[in-house]
Amino acid sequence: MSAPTTPTLLYLDNVTVTFDGFRALNALSLAIDHHEMRAIIGPNGAGKTTMMDVITGKAKPDDGQAVFDGSHDLTALDEATIAELGIGRKFQTPTVFEHHTVEDNILLALKADRRPFSALLSRRDKVERERIDALLERVRLNRHRHRLAAELSHGQKQWLEIGMLLAQEPKLLLVDEPAAGMTDQETADTADLLRDIAKTRAVVVVEHDMTFVRDLGVKVTCLHEGSVLAEGPLDVVSANERVIEVYLGR
Amino acid sequence: MAALILNFWAHRMISFRNALRALLGPLVVVGALSSAHAGPYDDALIKLTTDNYADTDAGVAALVESGNPRAEAIIEALRAGTLLYGDGKLAIRGPAGVAVDATTATPLVASDAGSLKPVRVNNRVRRAVEAALGSMTLLSPDQRRRLDAAAAVLRSRDAAALPSLDKALAQEKVERVKIAMLEARAAIILNQPDSSPGDRLAAVATLGNLGNQNALALLANLPAGASPELTAAARQASETIAANLALWNAAQNVWYGISLGSVLLLAAIGLAITFGTMGVINMAHGEMVMIGAYTTFMVQEVIRNHAPGLFGASLFIALPLAFLIAGAIGIAIERLVIRFLYGRPLETLLATWGLSLILQQGVRTMFGPSNREVGTPEWMSGALQLGGLSLTYNRIAIVIFAFAVFATLLLVLRYTSLGLYMRAVTQNRRMAGSVGIRTSRIDALAFGLGSGVAGIAGVALSQIDNVSPNLGQSYIIDSFMVVVFGGVGNLWGTLVGAMTLGVANKLLEPFAGAVLGKILLLVAIILFIQRRPRGLFALKGRAAEA
Amino acid sequence: MSTIINRQAVVVLVLLALAAIVIPAMNLAAAPGSVFHLSDHLVPLFGKYLCFALLALSVDLVWGFCGILSLGHGAFFALGGYAMGMYLMRQVGSRGVYADPVLPDFMVFLNWKELPWFWEGFNHFPYALLMILAVPGALAFVFGWFAFRSRVTGVYLSIMTQAMTFALMLAFFRNDMGFGGNNGLTDFKDILGFSVQAKSTRIALFVLSVAALAAGYVLCRWVVSSKLGKVVVAIRDAESRTRFLGYHVEQYKLVVFTLSAMLAGVAGALYVPQVGIINPGEFAPANSIEAVIWVAVGGRGTLAGAILGALVVNAGKTWFTGAVPEYWLFALGGLFVLVTLFMPTGILGAADKVWKRLRSRPEDTRGELASQAAE
Repeated sequence: MSAPTTPTLLYLDNVTVTFDGFRALNALSLAIDHHEMRAIIGPNGAGKTTMMDVITGKAKPDDGQAVFDGSHDLTALDEATIAELGIGRKFQTPTVFEHHTVEDNILLALKADRRPFSALLSRRDKVERERIDALLERVRLNRHRHRLAAELSHGQKQWLEIGMLLAQEPKLLLVDEPAAGMTDQETADTADLLRDIAKTRAVVVVEHDMTFVRDLGVKVTCLHEGSVLAEGPLDVVSANERVIEVYLGR
Repeated sequence: MAALILNFWAHRMISFRNALRALLGPLVVVGALSSAHAGPYDDALIKLTTDNYADTDAGVAALVESGNPRAEAIIEALRAGTLLYGDGKLAIRGPAGVAVDATTATPLVASDAGSLKPVRVNNRVRRAVEAALGSMTLLSPDQRRRLDAAAAVLRSRDAAALPSLDKALAQEKVERVKIAMLEARAAIILNQPDSSPGDRLAAVATLGNLGNQNALALLANLPAGASPELTAAARQASETIAANLALWNAAQNVWYGISLGSVLLLAAIGLAITFGTMGVINMAHGEMVMIGAYTTFMVQEVIRNHAPGLFGASLFIALPLAFLIAGAIGIAIERLVIRFLYGRPLETLLATWGLSLILQQGVRTMFGPSNREVGTPEWMSGALQLGGLSLTYNRIAIVIFAFAVFATLLLVLRYTSLGLYMRAVTQNRRMAGSVGIRTSRIDALAFGLGSGVAGIAGVALSQIDNVSPNLGQSYIIDSFMVVVFGGVGNLWGTLVGAMTLGVANKLLEPFAGAVLGKILLLVAIILFIQRRPRGLFALKGRAAEA
Repeated sequence: MSTIINRQAVVVLVLLALAAIVIPAMNLAAAPGSVFHLSDHLVPLFGKYLCFALLALSVDLVWGFCGILSLGHGAFFALGGYAMGMYLMRQVGSRGVYADPVLPDFMVFLNWKELPWFWEGFNHFPYALLMILAVPGALAFVFGWFAFRSRVTGVYLSIMTQAMTFALMLAFFRNDMGFGGNNGLTDFKDILGFSVQAKSTRIALFVLSVAALAAGYVLCRWVVSSKLGKVVVAIRDAESRTRFLGYHVEQYKLVVFTLSAMLAGVAGALYVPQVGIINPGEFAPANSIEAVIWVAVGGRGTLAGAILGALVVNAGKTWFTGAVPEYWLFALGGLFVLVTLFMPTGILGAADKVWKRLRSRPEDTRGELASQAAE
């Protein structure tokens, strides 16, 4: 099947995923534009994580299509290839390489030739070093660059992971609950950082924290039972009867 | 040592049976003697005293015709060379050298006995004697003797036996004996130069229907000068039989496969519990099986020394003991080692491998490195003939036992609270913990259960395998293959896995040989795991368990 | 980026160089009877330890750094050994019992008339050398290609590797495989024209083993200190994270696994002329697991620890099997249990911890610790 050319960066159409008879995604359709930031909300089991799995190639849909950047059929590719296309993913619990230094974490994420033998022969050059410095600066981990990632605090790990995503230079960033387990100050800083990132690339944020979503001030999509329940500005979505019923509570 | 005791008992049983037969045999003859009456019988006897082969031959035939109850004893003596004649008298020399009057069975006085000479036989007479004995005993009430008689007739192929064979066939009820008689009859007809072509064709058809190895041999050895259509019929019948036999052979292999499958099931099912519930790879699982086998050995030792009468029940005593001993060792291992390694499966694998080395060496130190003899109770020896299948009782017992263990475990997992908790822990350890299930206790009990089941598997395996310290090692890789192939955490997967591997192994063996077959199977599983990394039943796990 | 030759590497290489000088000197120069004299049979024994150390190094590369617990590395070792054995067998020529100029004794015994195709070429040493690397490498490549592509990991992979070596063991036990069946290959006469029994050859083989181990160690250091090494450790610690960063994890695993198998093959090839025999017993699953415990004892993910562990455990084995043979399996089994329970980072890990506590200088936590065990 040839993928249709669309002006959107990410285009999900009618995507259905079932596990053992359970429909995790039910004919989900979603479109993200270039340089758009979108917040995804919804109750547990609404299919947020499964949606990310489909986009990043971890789960294969039974039906529907997922097209990236106009021409790439995501359902036919594996995780690494999709990542190389320019989709970065941040996990819910911060996942960094604990036995590597902060600096090496960023180094591994830097956009470069990913083939094993290139890795074996690669030497760090000046451009790479400057990129690493800039990124560490941006996620405020410059002082910790020689520490092992395992020694960082929870919030620092979240930021390191975001720094690694930026190092990948993706076109689209998927961010799963970035504010979970953060202090209020860290949460606000994270919102700032994400807004800043969204100036140059598309960002999809899955979040439960409504304050955080409000801080982001972007278009919101509410998922429920694997499909889109409502979409629009936060005020409109949160006024929606069904959204209140299944998610926000009365 | 143990073998000696066993042999001794076997001999005792056999000699007892012989003694009984010896005691009953003469009584029958003597009892029948009183109703003897003169006539063709006496004429027949006279023919035996003429020292002429032709007369002797005729005498044997006449004796059979007479239907006299003493006839059998006399002809038997003729075959054994203990029939004596002289002075118009016939006598039989007994085992102690004392001769008895052949007609009355009363002892002869010494002077009479002195002048007697043995009745001589040549090949022709010998054949007649063989056939006569055969046809006479064809009507014996003893099934075994009828069977022997039919075999004797088959060997002699003497047409003289044909009338009695037909008579016997008409009233034979036992299938096995009837088949032997039909074989004998067909053999006679095919072998006789003057039987009609129709009869011969019918005989070939009969053999074709019998469809066994004997019939195949008879058909292959048609006498020279057989007519073309007879040869054709025989060839066709042979082909039918060969195809039929191949089918039985395949069935026999499937049976061997099921039997191997149940052995694998027994060895692997405990592993499926520990692996499935706790994600623990227990490399010492094979040693639990080995301990179960040694428990059986010890139980039998005690029984032999203190209560030989209980030997038949030794396995039933060993079963609960093996379960408890292996289970207790399992719980101890879990509490002392494995529980510190949860969440570190590779370390668990290494630690339990170490434990398996210790247990092996421990048993080797205690019992010695050589094989220990575990006896098979009387009720488990012998074989059941089912058409062309031969099913040994010990294998049947193991198949039934394996399925019983499987069913019991299914019930335990489904209906007991331990089973409920175990399933809860399997599906969501943290959630189970937070609703108040003491997960660490469940782990210990589940490990004990898995090890206990391995122990009782050892009792069963002691019946078919060498009981040595290496017993467990020979099963561990196969057991893992079963669990990995069937899918983890699902007993049905283990069942299907065990049976598939067992049957596939035995079906491959005739073509590839035992070792190559096993290698092929290992390679097949390695490839299969690439396709379905979580095994056959992994996805349907919850559905099948519910 | 850490350098290839760090402090640890200097220590290892200096010790190996010392061994290459001191042990031959003690055997050749010291007068028999003096305390410094090393008797002839000990030279190949130490050579054997070095081969095991190289095997341990190869296990550490996949297990310690990539998290792949291979229970089948003995198979690669044995295949390398068989490749060398086949060369040595062809060198026997007509000096065999049956004096056949081409066929090895066991083939004459089996009434074979001609050399099987896979024995061709083994009379040339360079070809044998190539096979020593190629055969284990190819097996690892094919096995790994299947396994890693379908993401067989953890204990499943371990069991599969064990099944692999088990299947090979059964295969090599068969006479019609053409590798001498049960008895394997033995009664070697000479290697490259030198008698394998000669004292000088044995010393040469020992020195060669030291050199191979040193080269293997430097190679491993190069790999683990490169960016590839960092990716591999990343895979060990967070496989899916690595994948989502765009690394094709299966390719990396395949490279490391294949390289490791080739190292194991070299170890096996050096082992065979020193012990004088190779038989299917080398494929036994127990051997492969034993190699894993050497690495665990020394400290996995440290390279030097693998060498240390192999030497310590094997020296212990030699002592036990000589003095109290019936206790060796107790000791080995106990070692498995105790190391996993109480010393998960092995001797070097424990020593490192003590060293750190004594000095407690924070910037030291980079280099060595980065490669330490994860779980």
